[in-house]
Amino acid sequence: MKVSKLILSFILSTTLFAQVSFAQIASTEALDLGVVTVSSKEKLVQIISREDVLKRFEELGVDTKIIEARVASMTDEEASIVAHQIDTLPAGADAGMSIVGAIVFVFVVLLITDILGLTKVFNFTKPITNN
Amino acid sequence: MNIDYALLLALTSLIFSTGCAPKNPLPQNSNYSSYSIDVPFVAPRSELCGSTSIEMLSSYWQSNSSYTPRLSLKELDERTLIPAKGGTLQIELIAATRANALLAYPLEPTFDALFMELKDNHPVIVLVNRGFSWYPLWHYAPVTGYDAKSQTVLMHFGDKPNEAVPIGTFASIWQRSGNWGVVLLPPNELPASASGQKYLRSAYDFEKIGMVDEAIIAYKSALLRWPRDIAILFALGNAYYSTHQISSAEESYRKILLIDKTHPLALNNLADLLCHTNRTEEALKLLDTAVTTDTKIVSIIDATRKEISKGCISMLKN
Repeated sequence: MKVSKLILSFILSTTLFAQVSFAQIASTEALDLGVVTVSSKEKLVQIISREDVLKRFEELGVDTKIIEARVASMTDEEASIVAHQIDTLPAGADAGMSIVGAIVFVFVVLLITDILGLTKVFNFTKPITNN
Repeated sequence: MNIDYALLLALTSLIFSTGCAPKNPLPQNSNYSSYSIDVPFVAPRSELCGSTSIEMLSSYWQSNSSYTPRLSLKELDERTLIPAKGGTLQIELIAATRANALLAYPLEPTFDALFMELKDNHPVIVLVNRGFSWYPLWHYAPVTGYDAKSQTVLMHFGDKPNEAVPIGTFASIWQRSGNWGVVLLPPNELPASASGQKYLRSAYDFEKIGMVDEAIIAYKSALLRWPRDIAILFALGNAYYSTHQISSAEESYRKILLIDKTHPLALNNLADLLCHTNRTEEALKLLDTAVTTDTKIVSIIDATRKEISKGCISMLKN
């Protein structure tokens, strides 16, 4: 967490000016939108980030044919966040019951909290409400 | 008796301390009415709630605007699932949405923002944790409405279209994702709750991944709501300039100067444009009116002046 924050702040702290297609055009980012921009120093960091994402995606079983297109639709900042935090970021999955492997204690606790309306794990519970 | 009571109290407080929902989580004095948006339902498939949610919203916009999706459901699946994680990252939900030519605008994490969007008929994809922080069960689902009478949030939850979820339950499962929600909008549609700055950032993300046309449409619609926003005008000018739409670019830069005639970046880019369209004299005159103390901007302007005095290659046809 700390390391990735450091890297991010490094990227953010470098120059806010980038050259677009013409010699001395000030890019939109020069307005300081609070967005990351591309300079030679950080370009290196971002190329590494994108390669990291490619590598991690491959390890995590993503279809190799589509990996490049997936990373290409991310902005540099997004790629850098994914590269550094992929293990801790949440991944939304299905809404079905996933109690396989869960111990009975967890099952019971979740059942109770479902009924109390604090969670919504099982689709057969109806929360008690004070309405 | 006393011990039993203490034990019960301890157990209850343990359960409640892990994230208790207030009975009425809505802000005080809030008076939300009922909203119901007719969002097409797509049956759930294991681990694919990310792409399914995008698909439901993109078919919604397809039938309610001139929007045409770029990606099929199969392509969305391929772009969002990470098999080893068994789900979809928020960033990839946003990136795949963008690749599908919809702008993903992350909402402020409040009920106000959520209800503002629903009121404008903008369905919202929320991330919820159906379990606990120590036993997370993450899930994306589109919110399709709110029933004020029964105080339930309507959402396409798993295999149940428009399931009515009590507001207290919704609040507690939503709060565990930090109240994360996004609207997915065609670039000519603005989020009801948007700020100019934040919207510009989302629109500019299109440009960053090479979708300049979508970015231009988004900037133009943003200017309908914020016509005097210099940052948006500047972004639009640059997007036009980078796609060689010279006269439109010039018009955008000049609009900035009508609001702030010494705006250094607009003057710089306009001077560059004038030089490339054989108006060197005016270009140099304009540059001299730029006012700034920012050393980086000063050095950009100096470089532009040098460039102009050397002469520019004409971008005019013929």
